[in-house]
Amino acid sequence: MIRRRTAARLALAGLALAPLLLGAGEARADEGDEAATIQLWHAYRGAEEEALQAILEAHRAAGGPPVETLAIPYDAFGSKLGAAIPLGEGPDLYIDSHERLGDYRVRGIVAPVGDAFEGEAAFRSNAVQAVTLDDAIWGLPLSQKCVALYVNQGLLKEVPATLEGFAGLRDTLPEGVFPLAYEAQGAYVHSALLGAFGGSLLGPDDSFGFVGDPAVRSLNLARALIDGGVVPSDADGALVTNLFRGGKAATAISGPWLAADLEGSGIDYRVELLPKVEAADGAPMRPLLTVEAVMLSPEGAKRADVRALARRIAGPEAAALRQERARTLTARADVPLPPGDKLLAAFAAQAEVATPMPSAPAMRATWEPANRAIKAFLRGELDAEAATEGARKRFDDVRRPLPPPASPTPLLIVVGLLLLYGAFSLVRQVRSGELVPALRRSIPAYRYVAHAVITVGLLVILPLVVGAATSLWAGRPETGHYVGLANFVDILTARGGPLLATGSFYVVLLVTLLWTLANVFFHLAIGVSLGLVLSRPTMKLRGLYRVLLIIPWAVPNYVTALAWKGMFHRQFGAVTGLINALNQTFGLSIEPIAWFSHFSTAFTANLATNVWLGFPFMMVVTLGALTSVPGDVLEAAEVDGATRWQRMWQVTLPIIRPTLLPAVTLGAIWTFNMFNVVFLVSGGEPDGTTDILVSEAYRWAFTREAQYGYAAAYAVLIFLMLASVTRLGEWKAGRRAAREAAAARAAQAVEGGGH
Amino acid sequence: MVAVSVQQVTKSFGATKVLRGVDVHVPAGGFAVLVGPSGCGKSTLLRLLAGLEEVTSGSIRFGEREVTRLEPRERDIAMVFQSYALYPHLTVRDNLAFGLRLRKTDPAEIGRRVDEAAAMLGLSHLLDRLPKALSGGQRQRVAMGRAIVRRPALFLFDEPLSNLDAALRAQVRVDIRKLHDQLGATSVYVTHDQVEAMTLADVMFVLNGGVVEQQGAPLEVYDAPATRFVAGFLGSPAMNFIKATIEDAGGGGLRARLGDGSANLALPPGLPARPGQAVEVGVRPHDLELCDESAAEIHLKVDFVELLGPEIHAHCVLAGAPVIACLETRTGVSVGDTLPLRVRRLHLFDQESGRALR
Repeated sequence: MIRRRTAARLALAGLALAPLLLGAGEARADEGDEAATIQLWHAYRGAEEEALQAILEAHRAAGGPPVETLAIPYDAFGSKLGAAIPLGEGPDLYIDSHERLGDYRVRGIVAPVGDAFEGEAAFRSNAVQAVTLDDAIWGLPLSQKCVALYVNQGLLKEVPATLEGFAGLRDTLPEGVFPLAYEAQGAYVHSALLGAFGGSLLGPDDSFGFVGDPAVRSLNLARALIDGGVVPSDADGALVTNLFRGGKAATAISGPWLAADLEGSGIDYRVELLPKVEAADGAPMRPLLTVEAVMLSPEGAKRADVRALARRIAGPEAAALRQERARTLTARADVPLPPGDKLLAAFAAQAEVATPMPSAPAMRATWEPANRAIKAFLRGELDAEAATEGARKRFDDVRRPLPPPASPTPLLIVVGLLLLYGAFSLVRQVRSGELVPALRRSIPAYRYVAHAVITVGLLVILPLVVGAATSLWAGRPETGHYVGLANFVDILTARGGPLLATGSFYVVLLVTLLWTLANVFFHLAIGVSLGLVLSRPTMKLRGLYRVLLIIPWAVPNYVTALAWKGMFHRQFGAVTGLINALNQTFGLSIEPIAWFSHFSTAFTANLATNVWLGFPFMMVVTLGALTSVPGDVLEAAEVDGATRWQRMWQVTLPIIRPTLLPAVTLGAIWTFNMFNVVFLVSGGEPDGTTDILVSEAYRWAFTREAQYGYAAAYAVLIFLMLASVTRLGEWKAGRRAAREAAAARAAQAVEGGGH
Repeated sequence: MVAVSVQQVTKSFGATKVLRGVDVHVPAGGFAVLVGPSGCGKSTLLRLLAGLEEVTSGSIRFGEREVTRLEPRERDIAMVFQSYALYPHLTVRDNLAFGLRLRKTDPAEIGRRVDEAAAMLGLSHLLDRLPKALSGGQRQRVAMGRAIVRRPALFLFDEPLSNLDAALRAQVRVDIRKLHDQLGATSVYVTHDQVEAMTLADVMFVLNGGVVEQQGAPLEVYDAPATRFVAGFLGSPAMNFIKATIEDAGGGGLRARLGDGSANLALPPGLPARPGQAVEVGVRPHDLELCDESAAEIHLKVDFVELLGPEIHAHCVLAGAPVIACLETRTGVSVGDTLPLRVRRLHLFDQESGRALR
């Protein structure tokens, strides 16, 4: 009987396992066939992705090997490639913007395309120039993107020939309509103006280019446009879209992406070449050109079938398909534009007078200083020379040579001594004869906690150690070297500059402390007040108010941060709307506040956002703590003669204080590291002054040449500060608790001995 | 020192009537005890005196002063809570000084009064402790001290001894009465413990169901309970009650036919009862006395004996009703004995109204 049942079970198990085994066989077959499958990564969505799939199907139908595609978000593309390709897990070929080529080349994750390139004649010269590095072709151009001039035909018939001519439109356009909308504060569109004056963001030999005569003249012209009411100030990309879509701007400088946003808006528009600049002797504005290209990983470049696929994706049929399906402007010279497509024709013409964006890694370091210089100048804080000189200093600071490699000997000695000490104490314990029996006794206990220890070790301890170790290295992960404590020395000496200059560790620390104190104060004041009000049992609709007041806490904080940033917009924010309403109602003349132009207002805007986010937590903690206040103690105080106010200050608050303290500690730590609000609301504006330590660390890691070691050193310093402050608090609390415990024991002794 | 006068006070919480028209008068310097079972309204009455609750109707006067609508702090009172309600974040010294500080008393005067009260209560060595480092008895004394330093016109005690163990309770009971005599202020004391009520009170108010059932000096109330409830509430063990019918015993006398009719009890003359009336006969266990067979009024068969030391409690049955007799230990009563007993004193209550017949 038993035997039969066992046999039945075995049969069932065999049936269950069969698919697995078959699957494994299949998988093995795949492995054998692996060389034939091609991995392709891209960042396409929508029509562009469909066009790519159609091209791949055609390739397959023509007898090409199977292709596996993977869509990766554009922002994560570079880091994913950098992580995957060196491990042999990455794609054989991928589609990305050409300006990353220099970076990819340094990191060794891209290879020249070799025979996949059909020859210069097949492509537009600008596009070929974009993918050429040191006389080799590193990518096959697919499409080109740059900004051009959108014209609202309902508002404007004749476009002025020069940029200066737009000023004349103000009188002919309806009230409240800007002649021209563009992102005046951003270096990306501004570089078109800079190009007209013969300048560029990146100069020769990777030096900073946004200096000297072209920079000064382009800046002065931008300011004249804003001061003359031709261009809105403080415009970002979304605002430009909204203005043009809403008929509030007669023209706009933007890229092909604006066309997608205009679908269904009913705006009758056309696209034209960017105007010429009179002040630059009639030279045309030269926008930056981005070329999308197929790139090959070093492994992929060795395979003929991969090169063939790349060639096909960049080929004329594919280009025509993309133009037709996704309306992307081809980079090929031999593919005609779809007849009648005026939009593509205009962008094609504009691409001819565009400058390919430099693909050198140094280019990425130009954005932050250039953006800041433009903003500081347009706010009127600095003149053009000082603003651009300051930007160059900042660029050079970021691009400063890495600290020299340090000898790892001191580190090894310290680690060795620690290991030696550990080994020594282990030996001593073993010899004392207590360790082994103790270990044996505890083995069952270790079995119970092992999984937790391993999980915590992998998820908490290991990243912490790796992060801390990173702070001892400098340079990119692929090319970095050990520098000892040089990063810490650099930070603590403000990189040789004045200790109290903007952006130095000490100034940022001061701002962070001010930020933390102010926030915790308001969190506590508002949270405790509301908690006290809401705890009154006689209040009607108490539950409803509680829910409403907890909502700010329930909304993801980046959503809140973005909403508040919108409200603080100088021209179109809700706060300005309120001021306008006040002005109209009461005949006042309050000026709208440019919130992010001054430290005090930008700091206030951050503060308001974070206070809004943080008070519900303190409120909830207070409500909980209030349940620990005995009612009869309050009554005793009432009989003792305390007024309501005195009862709150002298009884309620002191009693809930011990419960609130951990919450305050926690809130202080959260606020100290509140990256989202600072980064999203003020973004460090103006000029990085409202940055706190974490957002500063973020900038070093992700916007300034990927100096992970330097950023990690910041993180280690933050960790050390918070850990030591918390330990100090715990130590004090521990001493107090010990004192009280001793007193309680004394009381017990007295009670035991009678009264 | 003020007289307390509560006139026709009612108190309702929503639809629940807790006090249904209460009159209480305490002479200046007197020690009044409000006693009754839980839910009788005694604590509510105390809270009305303190001003922690507002009366629904009626008035409260302290001496000549109308205080019905005054805040607690305007009434010049001090209160000792059942839970002591010490300020957990303040030391003993600050707990004592709290009320005086709020009244902006001169610091030197505060120090003097705190030291004096601490000495009186034996708290001097504990002044720098926090309440959580004190024993229950010490906390109780701090609560008392907090009331004393204020030198109020009226002390209110809300079951201050119920959280103490029995031995300590007996001692603190004595201390409280001594303190009262020493300070001379009027005191109102709430308890459900009839021993505390009997030992402490100058004047005792027995509350039941939101009304005062009886008031008077403790012994007076004990000896002559006005209702069956008061009779049953006071005294330990509780009074024995036996349902009975009044019969004419001939010769102008009356007797009570007890319970199932298997026993009769002659009644003393002069009781306002009529033959045929349904009554309850009440006899305190200590009023049953062993006597000679010839003088016996009733005979009881012993079911069970509790030996307490100086006395024994003999559990018996009389005409179908359980009866306890408290007898001296040396009488050597044991289970199964039939006891000839004399009734030293009996109480008669109308079955319908529960009122004493006398």
